[in-house]
Amino acid sequence: MILTTTDTIPGREIVETIGLVRGSAVRGAHLGHDMMAKLKNLVGGELAEYTKLLAEAREQALDRMQAEARARGATAIVAVRFASSDVDDGAAEVLVYGTAVRVG
Amino acid sequence: MSPPAPSRDELLAMAFVDDELAPEARAEFEQRLAREPALRREVSALKDLELLAREAAPKELVEHEWAALAREPAQRAALGLGATLLVVGVLALATYGVYFLIEAPLPPLLRWPLVTVLLGGAFLFGAVLRARLRTLPHDPYRHVRR
Repeated sequence: MILTTTDTIPGREIVETIGLVRGSAVRGAHLGHDMMAKLKNLVGGELAEYTKLLAEAREQALDRMQAEARARGATAIVAVRFASSDVDDGAAEVLVYGTAVRVG
Repeated sequence: MSPPAPSRDELLAMAFVDDELAPEARAEFEQRLAREPALRREVSALKDLELLAREAAPKELVEHEWAALAREPAQRAALGLGATLLVVGVLALATYGVYFLIEAPLPPLLRWPLVTVLLGGAFLFGAVLRARLRTLPHDPYRHVRR
């Protein structure tokens, strides 16, 4: 499945617009990771535990969006956008959405 | 010696993860997934590989340093000792809490609600932990690094 942030796919024709598809995921770090991240926050630098947490949520949200598009017969998703919000301390929420289309 | 040829189920699982099954075959495979734990494990393992393959970006320099640090005895000792002391301290405090709850001259109307709250919390935590451990093998995203 083609995923793109642009509205069109060069060289491919959109033959049908299926509609909005989206996926979201909220994931939490376990207590050990949370504590290490808090300690690292005292000295600065990358909080790798939270980088990983956000990446996990991003990949899961992407997969959910693709699964919805696939179930609706899409072959590509255009105009993909990411959003995030703060649900809880130590948790990462990622929402990804786009327009499912069928390309020729 | 060449590796054994993949079974029909392994081929189906690969096609499922790679999104190559026709809609009818996919629906049929999803029905089997709901019934067959071995098939779910096979798909989970393939999904793990697929997620690893997505991480095509080369390693950053700092990652080599993190890996070197993780191998250093001093760093390992500090982390191990810190974690052990923390766990021992928490267990000691919890033991004292239970002792206090039993022995302290608390009015029954305070003691029993406290016991109920603690037991309720312990049961809920146990249920959450059990659910996490049960679903962990089917959570490929735990391998995502960045």
